[in-house]
Amino acid sequence: MHRAARVPRLALPAALVAVVLAVVAVVASTAFAAGDNTKAEGTLVVDTSFVVQTIDPQRMFEPTSQIAVKGMYDTLLTFRGQSTTPLPWLARSWKVSKDAKTFTFTLRRDAKFSDGTPLTSADVLFSYNRVINLKGSPSFLLAGVKVSAPTKYTVVLRSSTPNPALLRIVPNPSLGIVNSKVVKANGGTDALGGDKTDKAEPYLLSHSAGSGPYVLKSYNNKTEIVLEANPGFWGPKPTFQTVVIRNLPAPTQLLNVQRGSNEIALDLSAQQASTLRGKSNLKVITNASANLFNIDINTDPKISEVAANPHIQTAIRYALDYPSFVKLSGPGAVQAPGMIPTTFLGHLPPTARIKRNLPKARAEVKASGIPSPKITMYYPSELTINGISFATLAQKTKSNLAEVGIQVDLVGKPVNSFLETYAAGKHPMSQSYWGPDYPDPNDYLVFTPGGLAANRVNWGVAKDPKLAALAKQAQRTVSDTVRASRFRQIGRSMNQRAPFFPLFQPAQAIVSSSNLTNAVLGVIWPLDVRAVGTR
Amino acid sequence: MPWPFFRFLGRRLAALVVLALGITFVAFVLTQLVPGDPALTALGPVTSADPEAVAAYHAHWGMDKPLPVQYLTYLWNLLHGDLGTSQLSHQPVLNDLQHAIPATMELAFLSIAFAIVVGVPLGVVAAIRQNRASDHALRVVSLAGISMPTFWLALLALYVFFFKLDWFPGGGRLDPGTTPPGQITGLYTVDAVLHGQWSLAWDALHHLILPALVLAAFNVSLITRYTRSAILEVINDDYVRAARAKGLPERVVVIRHVLRAALPSVVTVLGLVFANVLTGAVLVENIFAWPGIGQYAYQASIELDLPAIMGVSLFVAVVYVTVNFVVDVLYGVIDPRLRLT
Repeated sequence: MHRAARVPRLALPAALVAVVLAVVAVVASTAFAAGDNTKAEGTLVVDTSFVVQTIDPQRMFEPTSQIAVKGMYDTLLTFRGQSTTPLPWLARSWKVSKDAKTFTFTLRRDAKFSDGTPLTSADVLFSYNRVINLKGSPSFLLAGVKVSAPTKYTVVLRSSTPNPALLRIVPNPSLGIVNSKVVKANGGTDALGGDKTDKAEPYLLSHSAGSGPYVLKSYNNKTEIVLEANPGFWGPKPTFQTVVIRNLPAPTQLLNVQRGSNEIALDLSAQQASTLRGKSNLKVITNASANLFNIDINTDPKISEVAANPHIQTAIRYALDYPSFVKLSGPGAVQAPGMIPTTFLGHLPPTARIKRNLPKARAEVKASGIPSPKITMYYPSELTINGISFATLAQKTKSNLAEVGIQVDLVGKPVNSFLETYAAGKHPMSQSYWGPDYPDPNDYLVFTPGGLAANRVNWGVAKDPKLAALAKQAQRTVSDTVRASRFRQIGRSMNQRAPFFPLFQPAQAIVSSSNLTNAVLGVIWPLDVRAVGTR
Repeated sequence: MPWPFFRFLGRRLAALVVLALGITFVAFVLTQLVPGDPALTALGPVTSADPEAVAAYHAHWGMDKPLPVQYLTYLWNLLHGDLGTSQLSHQPVLNDLQHAIPATMELAFLSIAFAIVVGVPLGVVAAIRQNRASDHALRVVSLAGISMPTFWLALLALYVFFFKLDWFPGGGRLDPGTTPPGQITGLYTVDAVLHGQWSLAWDALHHLILPALVLAAFNVSLITRYTRSAILEVINDDYVRAARAKGLPERVVVIRHVLRAALPSVVTVLGLVFANVLTGAVLVENIFAWPGIGQYAYQASIELDLPAIMGVSLFVAVVYVTVNFVVDVLYGVIDPRLRLT
């Protein structure tokens, strides 16, 4: 045996090493006790889980990119806060033709880019044509639209079909105006074939070429995007000299926002945010998001005879426990009254919501003539939106339908795989969701017969020609009052017979330091950093 | 250097080339086998319904060509040092890796150093105090260290040391908005020192300590346990008893005779430690918003970003072969009987 009596002589250095390391760690850390809060005065920190591919305005369509691009580039029109009423910005006025095909914008004359170049209609023409010809994610915004610039300060958009939604499309940050001379000089083009010939993206990832209140200081799509105030901004000066948009997961945001000042957390779930209520240094806002969770069911008997059976569809509609879905999302969430969210023109009133009716659902199952109905439901397995996991929703759907005797087999797939079979219309049933591309009811015509989403459940025009005709009529209607009425009529019909079951609009939360003003979630962009101020 | 050593080195390099080729092939085939078109998520639900836009996306990323052509093109570009462009970041993969790899390496180096400096002495203590209270305590602690999920430990560490005590910052490599030092090695602490930016170096170190300690926790436990068992295997051998019989102090016996004989086993574990660090980095980097290779690999695989997946796979292959090579060389350094000459 070894002599244990001598052991302490060896244990001592080992213990010392551990102690010294611990002391070094503590000393090093206490030397920087101010820690994360040492950011310079005049810096706004926005914590968010990055979803960003690019900050080239005409290629981007991701939430994080929108925050940055909205700060650096101006649009013809804009929205304020959560309102969806278009307001003048670069365009000081506009006219819409009676058929909603021609939109004439008159530009303000004092707008200039960060390098001092005046912003003219030539820049708008270049920017819009570049969006169209790059054929990137935002190109659909201007589908069927031709742009012209008859005078130095006039821009005309001509749509091939009536397009009353265009005024609510124009404020999208993807339609931000770039300095055409700078972008051209760095390989950009607005010509046909731009998807193959445009080479300006690398430049726009390291420099901005806009007229907004901020310019790009640095861009790293993994860590942070730093914006600096544009000293020559033509409009009202922003409050903060620097804006840091920082990539952090939600649990870390929860801790950071409590320690920081001039700080905003964008990705906390409503439950996480509710734990912060009552803290004097924080402001917590939760409300219903414009995102909409729903269930789609396929109308093609070749995909699933059970799913395509109208009685089974009705049974599912009345078997779902809508209020319990709402509860999953936490305070602020609401049951979706129809497929148009409550924030947009043409949405249904709360009284039109579908109500659970188990006896009716069971009667419909019986009427279907299918003894033990069984359906496979697909869902994107790793996707979480507004803190809600699709896997949880799918489990809830399964248990709801089991109560009326419908067996649901769940199949979770990674998003990419899910989308491929979903887009091909191969899912008997899907746990799905829709986020607004622009805040207008026309964006929801995709759910009417023959629309993009409807085709994914094989619900073509022939399956409901009356509703399809009504949808076409609503799409072309110019008057907002008439539009609202027509969309409500469509919504009521859809709640009775469409193969979509609107579940809920999840709660969304924004938590900010209490000294900040105008820190609100936008309807299209997550946050307008140029509007954020201090008390 | 002796010829056998160069032969050994040559064999390893040849193996590396074959392995790298195999890895690119396997990564390419596996990524193709996963159902799903990256264009669908990249373009969004509306634009992806436009066949022209999808075709333009495929053409832009070279996905419109037959698979063998795509693979051979990749290899050809690889020979010219071009790893392609990431569909996710829209930037050259090489550029992405040049930033991500040093971030992870900086974390890994400190974490491994900490694991060795703490784990080996603790293992020695546990062994020589076998079955005593301190040994039991260390075994329990090391078991806890191995069993504790890394992401949970990371959150706990953040809560205690950032949120409650405010000793460490809450994530990232530098304070928000701080301009990183000019890249020489990519290790912020080192680069800042090389540029003489001392406050920046402290800032980088300050951000580095907590994630490195969290990442080290599992490996401290692992090394402690391996060191303990390796020492117990030799502590009663004849040559150790002979050393004691000669009257050598116990400290000398343990360090010069026992520990030296036990070290090859410990060095073997270092290969494992490095693998653990790379695996654990995925979770730690996510919680601490550390822009390393773990986060990059995770995002690339979720989004089926083929060029990025291939780049990461190549990097991991090179690292593993290199680490194994270094471990083999270390055997020879530690134990002359194992030298190739």
